[in-house]
Amino acid sequence: MPILAVVAVGFVLSFVVTERYHHRVLTLVFLWATMGLAWNIISGYAGQISFGHQAFFGIGAYVTVLLAAKLKLTPWLGMLGGVGVAVLAAVLIGTPTFRLAGIYFGLATLAYPLIFRIVMDYLGYQEVAIPMMREQPGLFMQFTEPRAFDLLALGILAATLVMSRLIETSRLGYSLRAIKENEQAAEAMGVDSFRCKMIAYMLSAAPAAVAGAVYAHAILFVVTPEAVFGVLVIVQTLTVCLVGGAGTLWGPIIGAAIMIPVSEILDTTMGDRLPGIQGVVYGAALMAVMMYAPEGLYWRVRSMLLGRTRRQVSAVRPVPAAAEVDAPAPTVPAAARPVLMDVRGISKAFLGLQALSDVSFNVREGEILGIIGPNGAGKTTLFNVLNGFLLPERGEVHWLGKSITGLQPHVVCRLGIGRTFQVMRLFPHLTVLENVMVGAFAHGGSPDHARASSLAALDLVGLADRADVVPTGLTTLDLRLMELARCLATRPRLILLDEPLAGLSTDGVELMAVMIRRARSAAVTVAIIEHTIHALVKLADRLVVLDQGRRLAEGLPGEVTRTPAVIEAYLGTRWLSRHGAPQHAEDLRP
Amino acid sequence: MSLLSRAVTLALALLLALPVVGPPPAVAVDDVKIALVVPLSGRWARQGQLKKMGAEMAIDEINAQGGIKALGGAKIVLREADAGDSVEKAVSAAQRVLTREKISAGIGSWLSSFTLGVTEVAERQQVPWLTLSYADNITERGFKYTFQTSPVSSAQAEQALDLVVELAKRNNQPIRKAALIGDNTAATVFFFKPLREKLLQAKGIELVVDEVWTPPLPDATSIVQKLRATQPDVVFYGATNFPDSIQVLQKVKEFGVKTHIQGVGAWLVTPEYVKTVGKELLDNIQAVVAAHPLKGQEELVKKFVQRTGEPFMTQDPLCSYAHVWLIKEAAEQAKSADPKAIRDALAKIDLTTGPAASTLSPGRIRFDERGRRIGAVPLIVQWQNGEPFTVVPVNLATRPVVWHK
Amino acid sequence: MVASELTQYVVTGLLVGGVYALMSIGLALIFGVMRVVNFAQGDFMMLGMYLTYYYAVVLGIDPLVGALVTIPPFFVVGLVLHRVFLARVTGGGDPNREMDAQLILTLGMSLIITNATTMILSPMPRAIRTAYATQAFAVGPLLLNQARTYAFFMALCLAAAVYVFLTRTDLGKALRAAADDPEAASYQGINVRAMHGVAFGVGIALVAAAGGLLATYYPIEPNVAVNFIVLMFVAVVLGGLGSIPGAFVGGLAIGLVQSLTLLVLPLQLQNVGVFVAFLLVLYVRPQGLFGRRARTV
Repeated sequence: MPILAVVAVGFVLSFVVTERYHHRVLTLVFLWATMGLAWNIISGYAGQISFGHQAFFGIGAYVTVLLAAKLKLTPWLGMLGGVGVAVLAAVLIGTPTFRLAGIYFGLATLAYPLIFRIVMDYLGYQEVAIPMMREQPGLFMQFTEPRAFDLLALGILAATLVMSRLIETSRLGYSLRAIKENEQAAEAMGVDSFRCKMIAYMLSAAPAAVAGAVYAHAILFVVTPEAVFGVLVIVQTLTVCLVGGAGTLWGPIIGAAIMIPVSEILDTTMGDRLPGIQGVVYGAALMAVMMYAPEGLYWRVRSMLLGRTRRQVSAVRPVPAAAEVDAPAPTVPAAARPVLMDVRGISKAFLGLQALSDVSFNVREGEILGIIGPNGAGKTTLFNVLNGFLLPERGEVHWLGKSITGLQPHVVCRLGIGRTFQVMRLFPHLTVLENVMVGAFAHGGSPDHARASSLAALDLVGLADRADVVPTGLTTLDLRLMELARCLATRPRLILLDEPLAGLSTDGVELMAVMIRRARSAAVTVAIIEHTIHALVKLADRLVVLDQGRRLAEGLPGEVTRTPAVIEAYLGTRWLSRHGAPQHAEDLRP
Repeated sequence: MSLLSRAVTLALALLLALPVVGPPPAVAVDDVKIALVVPLSGRWARQGQLKKMGAEMAIDEINAQGGIKALGGAKIVLREADAGDSVEKAVSAAQRVLTREKISAGIGSWLSSFTLGVTEVAERQQVPWLTLSYADNITERGFKYTFQTSPVSSAQAEQALDLVVELAKRNNQPIRKAALIGDNTAATVFFFKPLREKLLQAKGIELVVDEVWTPPLPDATSIVQKLRATQPDVVFYGATNFPDSIQVLQKVKEFGVKTHIQGVGAWLVTPEYVKTVGKELLDNIQAVVAAHPLKGQEELVKKFVQRTGEPFMTQDPLCSYAHVWLIKEAAEQAKSADPKAIRDALAKIDLTTGPAASTLSPGRIRFDERGRRIGAVPLIVQWQNGEPFTVVPVNLATRPVVWHK
Repeated sequence: MVASELTQYVVTGLLVGGVYALMSIGLALIFGVMRVVNFAQGDFMMLGMYLTYYYAVVLGIDPLVGALVTIPPFFVVGLVLHRVFLARVTGGGDPNREMDAQLILTLGMSLIITNATTMILSPMPRAIRTAYATQAFAVGPLLLNQARTYAFFMALCLAAAVYVFLTRTDLGKALRAAADDPEAASYQGINVRAMHGVAFGVGIALVAAAGGLLATYYPIEPNVAVNFIVLMFVAVVLGGLGSIPGAFVGGLAIGLVQSLTLLVLPLQLQNVGVFVAFLLVLYVRPQGLFGRRARTV
C-alpha cells in the first residue's frame, strides 16, 4: 500500500536526519501535510474551499495548552478536548454556512478564526507560554529528543492519510466528489448534500485540531492568536495543498515535502545574510510552480504519464439495430393501472412571470407519459417542482398516496423518483462508472455493491465498455445514455427524463427510444419531456400538453395531435387556418 | 507556450537558482559567536535592523580593542538569524543558529512573543540569552538561561507613576485625573494592569479614560473624543503599532487636546515619528523606557550616528550594544567561551564599570535568580525640538525636563 | 446618547469607510470579471502609496492629485502582469481549478512585492506631511477630519467615474459582458482575455489610487497592506460578488459598522462587530447585499 511506503520513508528519514534543526523541518513537513490533508477533506474532496480551517487548528492549540497551563492536564488528553471542541465548532460553523456557495462560503469561514483571534487577545491570552515541565517532559509532550516530535507528527500524518483513504474509497467519498462536481445533480441522485458536507467538515476538523496541538508543543512553545488563528496558517495550508494538488491524498504530501524545505533552505542560505531575499525567491518559486502546473504537481505529473492512454478510446461506435433489442409493450391498459404520482393544481411564478398555472395530471404505473409543449411552456419548471428543486406556490404533488410537495431532492430520489436533466449534468472528473455509482449509492450499500449494480445499469444501456472512461470526449448519445444509467442506478419506480432526445441523430433517437422501453419493461415508469411531438408520438402511451404554463390537453397521442388548440400552440393560428388539421402527426414539425 | 511566457518562466527559474549570496565569511576556530535573533525582514524589520546596528558597533569596538583578553584576544563574531514575522520563523531561526555552530550567548528578539519562544529554545540548548523585553512573563518561567536587563513592566508602572506624580507636583500641576490608552500587546498590558488595579487609586488619582484596542486601529476619533471630554492631566499611552500611534497623535492635535502624554515604551521615541508628524506635534511628549543615551554617552551617540546615518540613538541599538559588552565581560570573568560557563558568570556578575554598566541605568548590573536585573529602573525620555532626550533621573539626564500643559 | 454624538460616530464611520470602499472596488472588478482572488491587492495599494509619496516629496504634487496620477502607470503595470503571468493560468479549462492556481500565483506576487520593497526602499516608515491631516472641518458640533473628508469625496468621484465607465462606455459594457458570461461574450466578438487584462489593470489602478488617498493621513511602509487586506475582501463579499456599487456600499458599511460597534462592544472587540455583521448579512442574504442570486436548475 503506498501509504505504508510514504510512512516508512518518513520513519527512515527521521532516523537518518541528525541535526536538531533538520528534525524541526521534518516535523514541520509532517504537520503541514497533515493540516493540508485535513483541509483537503472539505475543500479538495467536497469542493467547499474553506479559508477558515485555521479555526480548528487554533482551537486544538489553545484548548490543549490552556488545559495544560491552568489545570496541569496532560496534552495527550487535552488534545482530545481540543478535538471535541473543534468538531463542535465545525457543526456550529457549518450549519449556517453551508448554504453559501463558492467564495462566499470561503470568506464566511474566514470570519471565524479572525473573530477568535480578537477574542483571544481580549481574554488576555495574547501570549500563552507553554510551561516547561522538567520533571515529566514526556507526559507534557515536551521531548528533549527531537526525533520524538518527528515520530509524533508522522503518526498523526499516517492516521490522517488512512482516514483520507477510507473516505476516498467509501460512499461518502463518492458523494463528496459528486457534490463538488455538480451539487444539484448529486442531490437528484439521492445524495443528502448537507449531511455529507457536514460529516466531511467534522472529519476535517479533527486532524486540524490535533495538528494545531502538536504544532504548539513542537514548534511554537508560545501560543499567540496570530500564530494559530492567523492568516499565515491558512496561507501555508493552501500553499501546501494547491502546489501539490487538491482533491488527492498525495497532493498535500508533495506540496509540504517540496515547499517547506525550500522555504527553510532559503532562510538558511540567503535569508540571514540578505534578509528579504528569501521571500522574493520563495514567491517566485510559487509563481513558477503555478504557471507550470496550475492544477498542482500531482495532477500535472499524473496527466503527463497517463493522459495519452485514456484519450485513445474511439468515439465512433456502431449503434445497435433497434429491432434486436426492442421490448414488448405492456398488456394491461393504461386506465386500469394504479396511479403512482398525482399532480394537483401546481402553480409557480418567478418574479411576476407565471411559469405554471394550475397544472394537474397523473402518472400511472408502467406507462410512458409524454409531456410536450412549445418552448417556454414550463415543462422543465414542472419537473423541478416534482423533483423538489422548486417549491410551488399552490398545489401538491402526491407520490404513492402521500404528499411529497417541498421535500428535498435527495429525499424525493430515495422515495423512488429519478431524474435526468435537459442540460446534461455530469460529474466531469469522475469516470462513467463512477458517475453511475453515485446514483447507485442512493440506496446505501458498500462501494463493491454499488459498483456491481452500476455495471449492471451500464450493461442495460449498452455502455459497459465505456465504464472507465472520463465523460469528456464521449458523444452526446453516450452521455445521455450514461445519465439514464445513472438515473436507473438509483432504483427508481418513476423516472423524469428531461429532453433526452435533444441533440441526437435519427439513429440516436431510435436507440434512446429502445432504452426507454427497456427501462419500462424493467418496471420503471417513465415521464418524458420533449418539445418535438413526432418523436414522442411513437414512444409515449399518453401525452400531456403544456402551453404557457397551463395544461392544454391530455390523452392518447393520436387524439392530442389532432386537437386544434394544440396545433395552434405549436404552429400558430395562421398555419391552422391555412392548412387545417393535419392528418398525420409527423406533419407537426414547428 | 508563447515566447514571452517562455522567457518569463526562464527568468523565474534563474531567480530560483540564484547563487547563494556569497560564502559565509571566514571564521577562526576560536572566535566567540554571539547569536542575534531579531526580525530582519517583514513587518518589524526596522526594529531588528536597529538592534543589529547596535550589536555590530559593540563588536567592532571590542575587536578593535583586542577582543576578549581572557581568551587570548579571541574576536567576537555576530551570527544573525532572521526571525521574520511569525513565531514559527523566529523559533526556527533560533533553532537554526543555535545548532549550526557553537554559540556562546544570544540576544533578541524584540517582539515579546518571539522572545518567549526563542528563550525556550535557548533554555533547552543551554545557551544564555539576553533580552530587553519588558514583559513580566519572560522571567516567570523558572528558566536559568534567560536574562532580562530591562525593568519589568509592572515595576516600571509603579516607578514611572511615582516619577510623573513627582514631576507634576514640582511644577504645581498635581495630577488628579489619568487616562490609559493603548493596545493589548503584552508589555502594555502588563504596564497598565497594576495602574488600573491599585496604583492610581493609591495615589488618589481618578481613572477617567480606559481604552484598549486590538491593532490595527481603524480610527482614533472615539478615543480622543473621550480625552477631550474628560481632560485628564496625564495620559499613559501604549500604541506600539506605528500607524495606530500616528493616528492617535494626529487626532490629539486635530481635536486640540491639551494633556500630558506619557508613552510606555521606546517605540514612541524613534526617528520615524519626527519624519511623520513633525517636531511641533511631538514636543514635550514623554516616554518611559528601559534605556536611552545618558549623560556621558555623547561620544557613543556621535559614533553611532556617524556609522549608521541615523539621526539619533535609541533603546534598541543601545541595548544590544550593552548586551554584547555584557557578554564580553561575562566571557572575561568565566575565562571561557562555553555557554554554560558564560551563563554562570552572568548569574553571579556584579558589574559597575564599562560600557554595559554605564548604559543600563542606574549603572550596576546584577541579576536575581529569575534572571531579572536587580535595581533596574526605567528612564523618562522627552521629545524636545525633534529629538528625544533623557530627562529623568536628573543625574543621568542629558536635558532638563520641560513640563507644561 | 446625544444625537450629535451618534451623528459623529456615523460620520466618522462613513469617512473611514469611504477609502475602504475605493480599495474594494478594484478588488470587486478583478473578482467579478476574472474570478481571481488577488492576494496581492493590498500590496499594489502599498506601491500606490509609495508612488504618491514620490510625487509629493520629489515633484511637489499634492497627494490628492498624486493619487489620480498613479492610475495610468498602474493600469499599464496591471495589463503587463496579467499578460505575462495571470493569463497563463486562466482561460480555458476547469473554473474550479483555475481559481486555486491564481490564489497561489497572486500570493507569490505578494511575497515578491513586499520583500523586494523592504529590501530596496528600506522598512523605515515614511509619511506625506499634509496640513489637512491634523485639521478638521467643524460642522456644527461635528468634527470632520479634513484629510479623510477630501479622501472620501475623491473616492466617491472615482467610484462614480468607474460606474459611468462600466455602464456607459462600450469598453465597460464589454467588461461586464465578459464577467457575466465569458462564453456568450466571446461569441459576440469580445476578446475575453483582453477584458481580463483590462479588468486587472483597472482593478489595481483603483487600489493604487486608494493608497494614494490613504497616504494623506496614514504612514507608508512595505507591510501596510496587512492592516487592510481582510477588510477589503470582506467588503467585496458583503457587497456581493461582481457588483461594483455593492463593493462600494460594502466598504462604507464596514466603516460604519466599525464605528457603531463601539456603542455596543468594548474597543478591543471592534472588528468582531464587523465580522459578526458580515456573517449575519451573508446568512440572511447569501449573495451579499447587491449580488445576483445564483442560478437554479
